Amino acid sequence: MAVEGAVSNRSAIIDYGRDLEKEIATLEGSISKIEALTARYPARWLAVKLLENDSDVKEKVRAIDGGVEIIRQAETSMAHLRSIFGDEAETVIADRRYGFISGVAKKVLRKPAIDRLTSSDKIDNIVTNRVLGIPIFLISMWLVFQFVACSGPYSDWLDGVLAGPICRWGITIIKLISLDGTWVESLWVDGIIAGFAGVMVFVPLLFFLYFALAILEDCGYMARIAFVMDRLMKAIGLHGKSFLPMIIGFGCTVPAIYATRTMREWKDRIVTAQVASLMSCGARLPVYTLFAAVFFADNPGTFILALYLFGIFWAIVIAKLFRSTVFAGGEKAPFVMELPPYRMPTLKGVLIHVWERGAFFFQKAVTIIMAVSIILFFLLNIPWGVSDMRDSLFGKVSATIAPVLAPMGCGNWEAAGSLLTGFIAKEVVVGTMGEIYVAGAQEEAEVEEPTNFFQDLGEILVGFWDATVDTVKSIVSIIPGVNLMDGEEEEEVTRLVAALRERYTPLQAVAFSVFVLLYIPCMVAVAAFRSEFGTKWALFNAVYLTALGWIVSTLIYQVGLLLGF
Amino acid sequence: MADKIREEIPIQLSMVAPGQDVQFVAVHGGWGIRRRLAEMGLNPGVKMKVIQADFQGGPIIVAVRDSRLALGRRMAHKIMVNTI
Repeated sequence: MAVEGAVSNRSAIIDYGRDLEKEIATLEGSISKIEALTARYPARWLAVKLLENDSDVKEKVRAIDGGVEIIRQAETSMAHLRSIFGDEAETVIADRRYGFISGVAKKVLRKPAIDRLTSSDKIDNIVTNRVLGIPIFLISMWLVFQFVACSGPYSDWLDGVLAGPICRWGITIIKLISLDGTWVESLWVDGIIAGFAGVMVFVPLLFFLYFALAILEDCGYMARIAFVMDRLMKAIGLHGKSFLPMIIGFGCTVPAIYATRTMREWKDRIVTAQVASLMSCGARLPVYTLFAAVFFADNPGTFILALYLFGIFWAIVIAKLFRSTVFAGGEKAPFVMELPPYRMPTLKGVLIHVWERGAFFFQKAVTIIMAVSIILFFLLNIPWGVSDMRDSLFGKVSATIAPVLAPMGCGNWEAAGSLLTGFIAKEVVVGTMGEIYVAGAQEEAEVEEPTNFFQDLGEILVGFWDATVDTVKSIVSIIPGVNLMDGEEEEEVTRLVAALRERYTPLQAVAFSVFVLLYIPCMVAVAAFRSEFGTKWALFNAVYLTALGWIVSTLIYQVGLLLGF
Repeated sequence: MADKIREEIPIQLSMVAPGQDVQFVAVHGGWGIRRRLAEMGLNPGVKMKVIQADFQGGPIIVAVRDSRLALGRRMAHKIMVNTI
C-alpha cells in the first residue's frame, strides 16, 4: 500500500445524505436552543449521536433540563427515518461513514489489486488451527508463567531494600525526633515496613505478568486466545472472552476482575469475576509451598498442582451453577470480535500498558495494605506491652473464631489468626504462622553496621544490578537446554516446618490449604470487586467463597477422618 | 461500496465454505447486535469472505473490508448472505 498526497487535518464533516441531513439539522436547531447542552457538546455531534440511539449520550441528555423533549424529538426523527430507509438510522449512518472512509481511502491509497491471504491470515491459519490452536496457546501460557517466575531476584532485591536501607532511614529520622525505643519505632519496623514489604515483593511479579500479557495483547495474539477458547468456555456457560481474566487470575485476582471489562454482557462479566478468585493467585502459592514442604516433601509439585486443578474444577462447577441459577438467562452475548492484524509490539506501547495497570494496583495495594498493617500492629500489641500474642486483642478475636473452624480440623486460634490475616493478602498467612509458631521468628536484625546514606544508595543500586543480571540469566534459561542458573539454594524455613509438623496432621494440612484456596479473596480483590460490581455483589462473592471453602474443607476433613487418615 | 444487493435467496453465513466470497444481506437480531455489526463495517451489500471455519460449532473468521472479524457460530447462523 502506498499513501499518496497529504490530507489536511481539518475535521471532516460527513455528508449523511439528504434525508438524514434534514433530520440532523432540525434536531441540531432544537439542541442549540438549550445552552446547558451546547456548553458541553457540539450540537451536530449530539444530534448524530441521538439519531444513532447511543444509550450513553441519551442518559446524559436526559439528565439536563429540556433533554427529555430533545430525546422525544430524536425518537420521532428515528421513526421517520426508519419509514424512509426501512432500516435503523444508525445502520445508515454507519454505512455513510464507511462510504466516506472508503472514498478518502480510494483517493490516497493504492492497493495491490489481487485479493489474497495476507501474512496475518497465514499466521492465523496456524495459530487458530483446530489441531494446533490449543497446544500453541498452552505453550504460550507456559512461557508467560516461566517468564513471570523470573521476577524472583527483583522481589528479593525490593525486600532487601525495604528491610535494609529504607527501614534504617526511617529509624534515623525517628532517632532525630528522639522517639527511638518507643512504640513509634516498633510501629515503623514491625508494622509499616513488615506489611509494606509483604506486598512489595509481589509487585515485580505483577509487573512481569503485565509485561508478558501486554506483549501478547499488543502483538494481536490475545484476541486469538478468546477465539480458540470460545467453544470450551461456552460449554461451561461462559464466554470466549472470559478466558483471559481467568488466566490473569493465576497471577492476581485484582487485575482479573478488571479484565472482565472486555465483556459486554453484564451477566457474563459478573460470573467470570465471581469465579476469578478460584484461579489460584500468586499470593496463595507461598501457602501451598509451605504445606507441601511440611507434609508432602516427597512430591511437593504434585500437591501444588492438585490444588491448582482443584481450584479450576470449582471455577467450572460454580460458573455452570451460577449461570443456571443466580445469573441465569440474560441475552447471551454474541461473540463478535475484531481480530487485529499481527504486528510487532513496540516497547513504548507495552510499557504504557504495564504502567497503567501496575501503577493502579500499586496505589491501591499500598494505601489499603498500609492502613491494615497499622491496624494489625495495634491489635497485636493491645493491651499495651502484651508479650504473648495469644493474650493480645488479635489472639482473643482469633480464639473466638476458632471453634467455627473446628469441623475442618483447624479449630485452634493460631490457624484462625493466620486465616484472618490472610484477608489482608493471602501470602500473609505464612508470615503470621511464622510469627506465631516460631518465637521471635523475625531474624534478629542483622548486626547493625552504621551506614551512611551514600553507602545505602550504593547498596540499592548494586542490588538492582545483580537482580537484573539474575533475571536475564533465568529468562535465557527458559530456552530448553540452556541453564545459567546455579543450583537454587532452598530457603531456610526449617523451624516453622518442624513446628507445623508437630501440630498438624497431613489431613489437616490439606483441609487448611483447600480453605486458603477457596475462602474470601484478599481485601484488595474484594475492593476491586466492589468498585466494578457494587457492594452487594462484592459481599455475595466474599460470602459464597467462604461458605464454599468451609463446606469443602469440612467434607475433606470429616471424610478423611472416616477413612482413617 | 454498497453494491446493489442481488435478488437471490440469502443463506446463513455459517453455511458458507471458507474461501467463498459473499455479500452481506441482513442480520436476524436485535438492535444491539445490528448496531454492533454496523459499527464493525457490516452493512448491507458489503462484501465478505470466510477465511477460516475450522472449529466445528466454534467461531469463524471472516474478512470484511480491511479487517478480520471473529464471529461465534450462533452469530454466524443469524447473518444472511448471498454468494457471489
